[in-house]
Amino acid sequence: MAAPSMKERQACWGARDAYWKCLDENTEDASQCKKLRSSFESSCPQQWIKYFDKRRDYLKFKEKFEAGEFQPSRTTEKS
Amino acid sequence: MLARAPKAWHGLFLLRPLALPRIQGAEAGQVRYRLLARQGPAETGKPGQPRGPRLQTRLLITALIGAGLGGAWLALRAEKEQWRQQQRTEALRRAAVGQGDFSLLDHRGQVRCKADFRGQWVLIYFGFTHCPDICPDELEKLVQVVRQLEAEPGLPPVQPLFITVDPERDDVAAMARYVQDFHPRLLGLTGSAEQIAQVSRSYRVYYSAGPKDEDQDYIVDHSIAIYLLSPDGLFTDYYGRARSAQQITDSVRGHMAAFRSVLH
Repeated sequence: MAAPSMKERQACWGARDAYWKCLDENTEDASQCKKLRSSFESSCPQQWIKYFDKRRDYLKFKEKFEAGEFQPSRTTEKS
Repeated sequence: MLARAPKAWHGLFLLRPLALPRIQGAEAGQVRYRLLARQGPAETGKPGQPRGPRLQTRLLITALIGAGLGGAWLALRAEKEQWRQQQRTEALRRAAVGQGDFSLLDHRGQVRCKADFRGQWVLIYFGFTHCPDICPDELEKLVQVVRQLEAEPGLPPVQPLFITVDPERDDVAAMARYVQDFHPRLLGLTGSAEQIAQVSRSYRVYYSAGPKDEDQDYIVDHSIAIYLLSPDGLFTDYYGRARSAQQITDSVRGHMAAFRSVLH
C-alpha cells in the first residue's frame, strides 16, 4: 500500500480538523459529529485514524494538565 | 641619608687605630688603600643604615627569577594547550571520516555515502513515508530552513537528507514519490534493514514498528530530531521538535560563521 500523497495527507488533515472542531464545539459529544466522523474516516488510512484518536486524547489531557485542571486520583495521590 | 653620613664617617675613623697594629710593617699607602677598600661595604652593611642598593638588587634578582619561572610556566602551558589542540583536531579528523558513516540508496537508485557530502552542510531527518503528521511537519520545517538559507547571498549551500526508518515499505520508488512534495534538492535515502539499523544506531535514532492492522499498515514510532553535519562531515548540532524553522536557521548560520575545517 503506497503512502498517502501530499494531497491525500492534506485532505485527511482537513477532515480531521473539521471533526475535532465539531467535538470542541459539542463538548466531546461524538453523536453530534457523525457526519464529520465518517468524512474523517473516509479521508484517512485506518492506522492514521487510530493514531489521531489517541493523539486527540493526549492533546486534551495535555491541555487540562497545563491548565492545572488535572486532578490525580486518590490512589495515585497515596502511592 | 645626609644627616647620617657624617656619623658613619666618624665611626669608620674610630675603627682605624685598632686595625692598624695588626698590619705592622705594611706600607702606609697600602693601609690607606685597604681602608678605602673597606669603606664601601662597611658603610652599607652597618645596621640601621639605609640598605637601598642591595635591597634593590635583591628585589631585581628575585623579580628576574620570578619572571623567568613565570615565563617558563606560560611557555609550557601554551605548549601543552597546543598539544591538546592538536590531539583534538586529530580525533576530530578521525571522527570526520568514520563517525556516522553510511552507504544508502538515494531516491534515484544511486549509492550515497557520507563522504559524498563532504564540503557541504547537511541537514538530516529520520522518518517514514506513511507517517501521519510529525514527519511531514518536520520535513516541511527542514526545507523551510534550507530555503531561508538559500535566499541569503554568500552562505554555503545546505543539502537536505531524509533517511527512512521503515526500510520494509520505503523502497527507492516510495522515497521518490515522497520527497518530490518537499524540495527539489531533498534526497530520500533508503537501504536494507541492516543498513538502516546501522545508520540509526550511529545517529542514536530509536525506531520501532508498531503492530500491523488488516491492511498490513502500521506506524513506526521513532525519535524526532534534525541533525546538522558540518562540511567536514562532523555532527555539529541537532534540533528537537520544539525548535522553530527560524531558530534552526539562526543556529545553522551561527555554525557556518564559526566553522573552521579540521581536514587538510
